[in-house]
Amino acid sequence: MNLKPTLAEWIADFTTSEARKNIEHIEIMPATNGVYSPLPSDLHPKLASALLSRGITQLYSHQAEAYHHAMHQQSFTAVTPTASGKSLCYHLPVLQTILTNPSSRALYLFPTKALAQDQKNAVNDLIEAIDVPILSYTYDGDTAPGIRTKVRKAGHIVMTNPDMLHAAILPHHTKWVSLFENLDYIVIDELHTYKGVFGSHVAHVLRRLKRICHYYGSNPTFICTSATIKNPQQLASALTNEPQQLIAKSGAPTGQKTFLFYNPPVIHPTFGVRRSAILEVKDIAKKLYEAKIQTIVFAKSRVRVEMLVTYLKSLTAKKINDQSIRGYRGGYLPSERRAIEKGLRDGTIQTVVSTNALELGVDIGQLQACIMTGYPGNIASAWQQAGRAGRRQDDALVIYVGQSTALDQYLMKHPHYLFNRSPEEARIFPENVLILMDHLKCAAFELPFHEGDAYAEFDVADFLDYFVEEQVLLKTSDTWHWMADSFPAHDISLRSASQENVVIIDQTIPTKTHVIGEMDRYSAMTLLHEEAIYLHQGTQFQVEKLDWEEKKAYVTEVDVDYFTDANLAVELKVMSEDKERVVDGLTIDYGDVMTLATATIFKKIRFNTHDNIGSGPITLPPEELHTSSTWLSFEAPSNWSEDDLSSAMTGVAYAMNSFIPLYIQSDRSDVHVIPQVKATHNGKPTFFVYDRYPGGIGLSERVYDLWEPLLDRVYEHVDGCSCQHGCPSCIGAQDLEEGGKKQVKKFLETVLLRG
Amino acid sequence: MSYEKKLLAMKKMVKKKTTTAPKPAYKKPQPPVYSDAWENVGLKRIDNDFGTVFVREVHYGFDYVHGAYPLGAFTEALETWQQHEHPIALTDDQPIVFYDTETTGLKGTGTHIFLNGLLTFEAHEFVLKQYVLADPSHEAAFLFESRFWQGKKTVLTYNGKSFDWPQLQMRWTFHRDVLPPLQTPHHIDLMHSAKRIWKQELARMKLSEIERHKLGFVRDGDVPGYLAPVIYLDAVRTGETDALLKVLTHNEYDLLSLVTLYVQETKLLTEGVREESAKAYTNIGKWYKDLKASDESLELLRDVTHLYDVDEAAEASFYKGYLLKKRGEFQQAYDCFLLCTPYVNERQRLEAYTELAKLCEHQLHDIEAALRYTEKAIVETKKSICYKEAAKEKRINALTHRHVRLKNKNVL
Repeated sequence: MNLKPTLAEWIADFTTSEARKNIEHIEIMPATNGVYSPLPSDLHPKLASALLSRGITQLYSHQAEAYHHAMHQQSFTAVTPTASGKSLCYHLPVLQTILTNPSSRALYLFPTKALAQDQKNAVNDLIEAIDVPILSYTYDGDTAPGIRTKVRKAGHIVMTNPDMLHAAILPHHTKWVSLFENLDYIVIDELHTYKGVFGSHVAHVLRRLKRICHYYGSNPTFICTSATIKNPQQLASALTNEPQQLIAKSGAPTGQKTFLFYNPPVIHPTFGVRRSAILEVKDIAKKLYEAKIQTIVFAKSRVRVEMLVTYLKSLTAKKINDQSIRGYRGGYLPSERRAIEKGLRDGTIQTVVSTNALELGVDIGQLQACIMTGYPGNIASAWQQAGRAGRRQDDALVIYVGQSTALDQYLMKHPHYLFNRSPEEARIFPENVLILMDHLKCAAFELPFHEGDAYAEFDVADFLDYFVEEQVLLKTSDTWHWMADSFPAHDISLRSASQENVVIIDQTIPTKTHVIGEMDRYSAMTLLHEEAIYLHQGTQFQVEKLDWEEKKAYVTEVDVDYFTDANLAVELKVMSEDKERVVDGLTIDYGDVMTLATATIFKKIRFNTHDNIGSGPITLPPEELHTSSTWLSFEAPSNWSEDDLSSAMTGVAYAMNSFIPLYIQSDRSDVHVIPQVKATHNGKPTFFVYDRYPGGIGLSERVYDLWEPLLDRVYEHVDGCSCQHGCPSCIGAQDLEEGGKKQVKKFLETVLLRG
Repeated sequence: MSYEKKLLAMKKMVKKKTTTAPKPAYKKPQPPVYSDAWENVGLKRIDNDFGTVFVREVHYGFDYVHGAYPLGAFTEALETWQQHEHPIALTDDQPIVFYDTETTGLKGTGTHIFLNGLLTFEAHEFVLKQYVLADPSHEAAFLFESRFWQGKKTVLTYNGKSFDWPQLQMRWTFHRDVLPPLQTPHHIDLMHSAKRIWKQELARMKLSEIERHKLGFVRDGDVPGYLAPVIYLDAVRTGETDALLKVLTHNEYDLLSLVTLYVQETKLLTEGVREESAKAYTNIGKWYKDLKASDESLELLRDVTHLYDVDEAAEASFYKGYLLKKRGEFQQAYDCFLLCTPYVNERQRLEAYTELAKLCEHQLHDIEAALRYTEKAIVETKKSICYKEAAKEKRINALTHRHVRLKNKNVL
């Protein structure tokens, strides 16, 4: 007898149980039918029969469209939801071209190694069915030295990632002549991940790639695939510096999807405090686990992933060597990740808790349910995560568990925001002068620049002359040559603001110290300070020593009932004002600022109860950041004390921090809002919004135009929040007597929104 | 279908830029402003079809002494190899060039070769030609003069298989439109052979170390190689040549030492045991063994075991054991393995015990002894530190398996 309930039964049970009162909204998205098109008539017979042997007798409409564009050398971007057969959008034209011209080459770029590995297996299956020797390889840090030469000389399809392209392929292009001379297609998978700082870097890596292709006489067509974002075509054009066609409509059928908006119960009505989302998620995930429904749980940070894994593993504590519950996030070693991916596919893993690493299209087979712990920050990510449940045409369940943040609570009350509004735009900013100069150096290292040469859309003669002064270039009559004994690509990391990562070393057993992960510098300030509890695969480690010079954190396994949370204090100075506008007595500026971030103290917080059980100082050197910022200043209102003004402004900044992601696709951590009652440069009360990346990445420039709707939205939300005195959902937790919420509202009404 | 119409419409809209225009014809660059200054310090200016290159040329008679040998000893080395076969054996039926570069960095397409040092073996002398890159725009001219595109050559380098030659190939690729194709030479890398000979004897395999310890040559006022990039960069920015000339001397030493290194290696490989250490001769014997030249190997190893003390010759004895076993001289092989066990390193000792056990079991038919050696091997393997855990376990399993079998045999 099978006691395992179907998904539909489980949903019916859950929505009629105790939990019903916490469900703010149920959205049922009906199944849709597919739109099909016959196999292209010019398809190589071997390719056609390979498809037939795999049961593919016709294409989805978007695949046919993609084939058509690609075969006419038109670069295009296909917007493809999860499980819509997006990989055929590029495999088909690429394989067709190689079949008709065996010297043709294609380069596939995936944001991570894992994705490349995955696609290699998929394309090799297809190639095997075609039964023609087409060579496809991954080329990354794991590629054995023995086969590297073979990949370089003979690989028809080379699958790699931007980092590898940046540091290992482009600076050694003379070893890749046969690839660059014959490159017909560049495939960029998961286009939407190339945004912000990372996207801006990748935009330059692609410009360098094109420059080298041009040198070797090839003119490849770009094929991009993207999840749903507001501006896929614009992003692709900006990224590739190339006009792009758009394939916006997927022809793939979808199953019925049930979307539950679950708001944790209010446990302290006065403060408006709700039960912790993580605890709610734990309970729901447990129910799904017991019903044997394969589930993916998304949490926003590594720490939360590890906390959830710790909680959930107690379900299997009595079973020996049980691997059915696993964590999955960045910072795990590749072998560890590969094992998890396999476990998900073959079903030995039943619940996986992930950061957004799994938003990407890693092929993990079908999961039936998805739990989102809090809003992932933007609509595009939300749909990506939701897409993880119910691949192909099966029914699926998505449970969105709200946190106490302003944004989450707003969505709980306005679920249609998620369903009706178009997703955010993804922005890149290749104009960032630091990023531009970094990559210009790499480009000059790769090939000399001649007078009159442009670098992509940029006129770079002045920069090159500057590099001559810096003694990295040498100018002969009309040419700039690299003339230094350095290797610039090694000094530039595409992935994070800080250029070096902190390596995490487990020294629990002194004779067997080993590296268990790494973390970028900025995160390390608040997560790897001494005495921090660092969680890795649910195991707690205490940081014993952080060697900031050497970028090493030494950790020892511990078993404690708390986690740590650290504070970052930021100082700010205006360097230059580039733009200014005045509205209703408010002055809004845009320009350059210098910030100084210092990790100050950390708190120890007990599991389950989340009590604060201790604290300590952090002694790390401050991190300096020169970036772009927009700021809004106004005359200090005469009838406000400085204290009142300060707390009101802090409340507004708190809410503002939450709402910025509504307008620009960025993580909360990419921009930051800080209030100053007396800004140093003008002595006036000022709100600063700045990009958390050296030189800025265009986010605060965007906010410069958006101050008015942003303030409107803040007021609307604070006003509509059900709490009495202010709560973590609107202006941050307040002390009872202060009447903080009233102050904030009054401040917004009388000072900022007079008009 | 409607999308097809749409596609046709789109097709008309988009026209990609056509492929790149044909590359312009090669434009010969102007000679650098410091040309006269460089000529004044003794560099000869050559102007070819591709631009300007500077060269320093020196002729050495065969009686020119560099360290322990006159360069003419090289001709004797060539004669020697007419009677022997070996990977470093040379004949003079194609031109012989000793080759060493100096570069502006270690890797990547931004690294230039700025000095091509070629020391050529001629009928009655050695001729050194050091080509100096006039500036990076004259690279084609610089590469052309190396003549590596012309005819088959034998090239001798120090670490050139993984460094100098790939660098040259990389630079050549940049100019493949104008230059004749680079020929693939017969390439002998003397670092590989030096490593085989002096492994575990010299701590570092830097050429200057080998000069000092083995070739009787000590450099005086040499610029360290790592300064070469900076010096060249300075020379092309300022025209300044003082330091650059020192880099040329450094390169010249390297090349001369390559000749005497070849002579020295030849002697060691062909003359049997003379003054070198037991270690070096054992290494050479092992090399011959790996080359399947068992006569040469056995002769050399035998001499080592005769001429050196037992502890110094232990490793030679160990290798000799394998050779003798292969020849069917089992009792002698047994003696060799037994003799070496107190002195060889842990890994070799454990292997020797295993070999002793095998010999006793299969050839000498002494099961008791075989059991004894197997037990010894098991005990010592368990204590050993030279294997990784997995490898250790595998070995212990194999030994235990042997032990069980021997026990059974013993009962019979």
